[in-house]
Amino acid sequence: MLAVREKRAEFERQALVHTDALFGAAYRLTRNARDAEDLVQDSLLRAYRFWDSFEQDSNCKAWLLRIVTNTFINEYQRKKRSREVLDAASAEQDAIDGVLMHAEATERQSPEQALLERSVSDDVQRALDGLPEDFRTAVVLCDVQGLSYKEIADIMQTPVGTVMSRLFRGRKLLAATLREFAVAEGYVKPADTKPPDSPDPAGKPDETIDLGKYRAARTAREGSQS
Amino acid sequence: MTLCQSIETLSMALLDDELVAAERRELELHLLDCASCRHRVDAERAELDLIRKALVPPPAPALLKARIARALDAEDAAAIRSERRRLSRWFLPGSAIAAAAAALVVFLGAGAPGSRNGPEIASDVQKQQRRGLPLEVQGASTGPWLRNHFAPVEPPQFTEPGADLLGARLLPNGIANHDAALLQYVVALGPNRLTLTAVVLKDLRSDDLSGGQAYRVGDLVLRVHDADGMPVVTYVDQLHHVGYAFASERMTAEELMRLVVSTDLISRAQRGR
Repeated sequence: MLAVREKRAEFERQALVHTDALFGAAYRLTRNARDAEDLVQDSLLRAYRFWDSFEQDSNCKAWLLRIVTNTFINEYQRKKRSREVLDAASAEQDAIDGVLMHAEATERQSPEQALLERSVSDDVQRALDGLPEDFRTAVVLCDVQGLSYKEIADIMQTPVGTVMSRLFRGRKLLAATLREFAVAEGYVKPADTKPPDSPDPAGKPDETIDLGKYRAARTAREGSQS
Repeated sequence: MTLCQSIETLSMALLDDELVAAERRELELHLLDCASCRHRVDAERAELDLIRKALVPPPAPALLKARIARALDAEDAAAIRSERRRLSRWFLPGSAIAAAAAALVVFLGAGAPGSRNGPEIASDVQKQQRRGLPLEVQGASTGPWLRNHFAPVEPPQFTEPGADLLGARLLPNGIANHDAALLQYVVALGPNRLTLTAVVLKDLRSDDLSGGQAYRVGDLVLRVHDADGMPVVTYVDQLHHVGYAFASERMTAEELMRLVVSTDLISRAQRGR
C-alpha cells in the first residue's frame, strides 16, 4: 500500500509534469485533439506499469516521448479504431470527468481569438497530414519537443544521418505547404515566399545527411596544418 | 571539402545547436566572409522560425489531467486490492488503529452474525464512490445547499490540513431506502491528494448500521466495513438520526479511520453529550 503510493508520488513528480509536452507531441503526431488525449493517456498508463524499468537519473521526458512515439507507431497508425466504440467510451468518460472538473475551470478564449487560432492551426494540421510519417515524427521530436539528433535517433532507432535527412526534408515539405496555404489565403504575396535554394525535398527515401564526412575532412585539414 | 560545399548540412546543424564549439566558431568566421553562405543560413533560420512558430501546440486540456489521474487511481486500486487479497486480514483490530488515533479508539469486536444493513449500506456507498456522478454544488455554497436541499446538518469538516470539501449532490435513489446526499472531498495524505467520499443518510438509528467491526471513540461507536476491498467507515449521529459513511478507494482502513476521527463531527458529538 505504501509502496503503491510512493510509486505514484514519484511518477507524478517525474513523469506527469511532462503531460503538456507529451500532449503537444501527440497532438502533432495524431493531428487531432481526441486521438492525442487517448495516446497520452495510454502512453502514461504504460509508462506507469513499466515505471520500475525506467532508469532513474536518465532523461524522463525522452523516455516518455519514446513510449508516445512507439505507441503511436504501433497502435494508432495501423489500427483504425472503430469510432462508435470511442464515442461511447468518451461520452461515459465525460460523465465521469464531470465530477473531477469542478476545481480546474478552463480558461475560455474569446470567440474571435478562437476563430483566428483555429484557421491557422487547421493549416498546420493539414500541412502535417501531407508529410510521410517518419518525416513528421522527426520534425515533431525536434521542433516541438527540442530533442537532440542523438535523442531522436535513439527513439526512432535510426542513425543520426537518417534523422538529419528526415528532418531536413520534412521541414522543407512543411515550409512549402505552409507557404502555399498562406498564399492561397492571402496572408502573404507569392513574391514574398521564395524558399531557400534546395534540391527536391521529397528526395529518395532514407538517404542520409553526413555531418561525419565534413568532420572527417576537417580533422584531416587540421592534421595537415599542424 | 570546403565549408561552402557542406553549407546545407552545416547550416542545419548550426541552427539546431548541434555543432561543437570549434566547428561553430569556424562556421561563424566563414559566414563573415562568405555572403552566399550567410544568405543561405539567414534564409534557413527564417524558415525554421516559421515552422517552429507554426508548430507550437495548444496546452493539454484540463480534463486530460483529470482523466489520467483517474486512470492511475484505477491502476493503483487494482494493485492495492490484489495486495489486500494476499493478506488474509488487512487490518489488525486494536493495534494499528489505536496507535493512529492516539489510543482514542477501542476495538469492540466484529459485528453480530446476521446483521445486514451495515454491509449493504457500505457496499452501496462504495458503488456510489466508484460511479463518480457529477456534483450539483461546489465549494463554499455546499453547506447552505445541503441544509436547504437535504437536511439540517453541517458537512463534516476534517481538521487535518490539506482537506478540501469539493461539493455535493443528492443520490436520486437514496441508499438502502434512506434519502442520501454525497459529499466529495480531496484529502492530502503525505505527497498524495486522494478523493474521499462521505454519504449522509437520513432517518437512521444506531442499529441500522450494524455489522463490520466496531470501534469505540470516547463514547461514540464507529464501524469499519470492507466493501469489496474498499474500507467504509460508518457512524450514526443518534441525536439527529443521521448516518455518515466515509469511503476512499486508495486509503487503508487505518488511514480512513484516523481521518474520520479527526472530523469536527466526532468532536461536535462528544461536546453535545
